[in-house]
Amino acid sequence: MLLKRVVAQEGEQVEFRGGRLLVDGKELKEPYVQYPCQWNLSPRRVEKDCVYVVGDNRNMPIENHHFGQTLKSRIIGVPLW
Amino acid sequence: MKIKYLLVGALIVVVGIVLAITLIPSQEKRVKRQFHLLSEWVSKSPEENAFTMLQKMKNIGTLFDEHCEMKIPDQSLSGSYTRQEVSTYAGSARSYVSQLDLNFYDLGIVFPEKEIARVNLTARLTGRSTAGERMDETRELECVLRKIDKQWLFSQIEVIEVLKK
Repeated sequence: MLLKRVVAQEGEQVEFRGGRLLVDGKELKEPYVQYPCQWNLSPRRVEKDCVYVVGDNRNMPIENHHFGQTLKSRIIGVPLW
Repeated sequence: MKIKYLLVGALIVVVGIVLAITLIPSQEKRVKRQFHLLSEWVSKSPEENAFTMLQKMKNIGTLFDEHCEMKIPDQSLSGSYTRQEVSTYAGSARSYVSQLDLNFYDLGIVFPEKEIARVNLTARLTGRSTAGERMDETRELECVLRKIDKQWLFSQIEVIEVLKK
């Protein structure tokens, strides 16, 4: 089981630029990210029935971090507040 | 008197059913046991001696069908592998590590057909290479086991891509 944060929903465009996360071209404020990173990832659109998830711990090379889009049906957690 | 015999008969039947349920493992438990054995035999402690290593290699093969379909891109495994090939590969892979732990979590078992079990699970491999590098890999797997001669044997193992960057 993986514990990740949903950062974008289907149809939205996700991108990393110099460690900043951009959703539909706008920077997403992420106060929960404690250790800044320098990730770069070209823009990509979240497919139908999917969400885009990323972990908060990003102080490793982008290749070593498991993140990306996944089917909503795979999510078993629910919002607590 | 008749009632007494009936009550004793009913009691024997109930005790028999309870014993059967508790003592005879369900098919689900038998399938889970195969994963437990795979975990035990793939795992390696730093103190493992050559005899244990050979025994484990041999044991790993007994968990697999005569031919097992594998789709594990990380390990460049794709296609059909014989029981012997699986044993040899496992032995070779284990020789590159000084310590290895393979654990399975969240097993979801369904029986789509009689004598076929489909299992979705999370596998976590942790350890240290002989060069001292730390390993920690987690993958989602889909496995198919076939019941052959009363044994559940691995006949398909596929890594599922859960997250697509």
